[in-house]
Amino acid sequence: MGTILVVAAYSAYSVFWARFLLHGLVWWKAMKRLSTEPASPTTAKVWALTVSDVFLFTRLLMVNPALWVGEWAFHASFLLVLLRHLRYFLNPVPAWVWCIQTPGTIAGYVLPPALVYILVIRLFTRWEKYASPANMFLLCLVLVISSLGVLMHVLYKPDLVDVKLFAWGIVTLRPAAAPASLLFLLHFILVLVLIPFLPTHIFTAPLVMMEARKRKKALRLVMHEE
Amino acid sequence: MKNKRSFTEELSPRQVLEIDACTQCGECLKHCPIQDVTGNPTVSPPEKIRMFREFIRATDGLKARFFGPGKVDRKLLEDFVKAVYECTTCGACGQNCPVGIFTQRLWPTLRKEMVKRGLGPIGAQASVPNAVSRSGNPYDKPAADRYQPWFPEQVKVAERAEIAYYAGCTGAYEAQPMVRGDALVLGAIGEPFTMLPPEEEVCCGFPLFITGQHDLLADLVRRLVEGYRARGVKTLVCSCPCCVNIMSRDWPVFYGSDLPFKIRHITQLVAAAVKEGKLKYRKELHERVIYHDPCYLTRGVGVIEEPREVLRSIPGLTLLEFDRNGLNSRCCGAGGAARKVYHENAVAIGRLTIDEAVAKKADRLILSCPACYAKVNEAMVGHKNRIQITDIMELIGSMIEGEKS
Repeated sequence: MGTILVVAAYSAYSVFWARFLLHGLVWWKAMKRLSTEPASPTTAKVWALTVSDVFLFTRLLMVNPALWVGEWAFHASFLLVLLRHLRYFLNPVPAWVWCIQTPGTIAGYVLPPALVYILVIRLFTRWEKYASPANMFLLCLVLVISSLGVLMHVLYKPDLVDVKLFAWGIVTLRPAAAPASLLFLLHFILVLVLIPFLPTHIFTAPLVMMEARKRKKALRLVMHEE
Repeated sequence: MKNKRSFTEELSPRQVLEIDACTQCGECLKHCPIQDVTGNPTVSPPEKIRMFREFIRATDGLKARFFGPGKVDRKLLEDFVKAVYECTTCGACGQNCPVGIFTQRLWPTLRKEMVKRGLGPIGAQASVPNAVSRSGNPYDKPAADRYQPWFPEQVKVAERAEIAYYAGCTGAYEAQPMVRGDALVLGAIGEPFTMLPPEEEVCCGFPLFITGQHDLLADLVRRLVEGYRARGVKTLVCSCPCCVNIMSRDWPVFYGSDLPFKIRHITQLVAAAVKEGKLKYRKELHERVIYHDPCYLTRGVGVIEEPREVLRSIPGLTLLEFDRNGLNSRCCGAGGAARKVYHENAVAIGRLTIDEAVAKKADRLILSCPACYAKVNEAMVGHKNRIQITDIMELIGSMIEGEKS
């Protein structure tokens, strides 16, 4: 079982990178073409606003504060939970990973309600006009994965030594036995399902956000002297 | 349908990233005028991007890399063509996009890709290149009628001048009170201005650009730029937001270098003239007027304050604002050359503008775009709500002190 899961993990990981590299190839080909659009300067203000857009979702806050609450809580807690899980894949575990264990645990409890909140807003409120099936699938998948994580933390704890040995086996290409926990297996398999579907906008959206800030700054200069 | 040509060929590097960066959140639908009147999410911005991603996958995806370009579902292509041409390209979706995708430029580029594949344009848009080649304007009207029916006799046009006025095809043929107002106001300001002869003032290229038909653009732009250069022009003034948009953003690209003159919207010139005391009003106007921002003037080139400055300068006038104004303005329905094909959408969107103006108890609806002017006037025919519709320069033209020649 352990070997099968490890092979599945490598496959999921490979699909993710193949997808990413393929997108990268399309971007690279496009970059070779000369852009006919005027280049705008990247000032310190543009950088600051972009950082705010990327980490605080400022643009979403401007257009939909109700959704922003859920989206920011989801993305921030998802990131913390991911970082918290590094303790299973690193040996020795760096001090900063130990430092974020408590915030990561709290984030683990925030993640499922944040996702439920987003789903309720997206699917059941009158003012939302669109719900992408692909997004709904991903949100539901993360909801199940994160709920299983909470269940394992609160009620049905797997043997963490087995979990560490299993995860470390994946990293070191030395497959170890899978922990004897049904919830863990389900949690792990669903993560493998999620990995190939992770949206590539996590890489491109920050770049587009920066372009948007530059464009906004340059808009007045299209037809004005200063 | 097999495709050897990549669907990303026409996209700029930034646009390739934008296609990928859309999170499919759907926030844009709340600001889309087509959604306001159709409620049909299949013609929405995220659906257009989702479909286009499918096309890119067919020509550039993993399977295409190993086994050659795949088939693109014909029905999906047809759905996409309908969606991308039903759009008014107003750009409100991009303005409110949590990622910041510049949709006002993206949709015309995707249309160009459809034209390259022989799938666009649609309906009456297909006849535009022939009309422009034949008569110099997309309406296929005689050049002799371009100025003659509306140009005020008392306004003098110089042979050469540092300022030139471009009337534009839609203004000259479909919104004549507007361009007449332009000419009256320019005459009243008193600075000499020149114009190209009617047969030389050809289409600025915007209807071709916006429908993705780029073949004639370089030639049109070269003829116009050379015409103005020969007259010693330093500032080219125009009242049509679509014209000023393509002039300032795209003419340098099609011309191959920076333009030898700057582009200004007429409200910029008039706002400056008012400040300098060159324009005097001969009466007061005790009315509540509401100003509608044209999409290509605000989101396109950032001219937002000047029309308001001009209106506020009229004695007695009270200026009202739409709920969506400035960079967030709502399209009047005429944009993107969709008004000639999706007429019902355009009329329904135009009526939303009229309804809001009436609900705000405005006495008059002020526009500053010939396409808005033509379409909103059309939308009022047979509509329950009525309001007086006036172009901003038509209004100023009626207010100025005398009409200097």
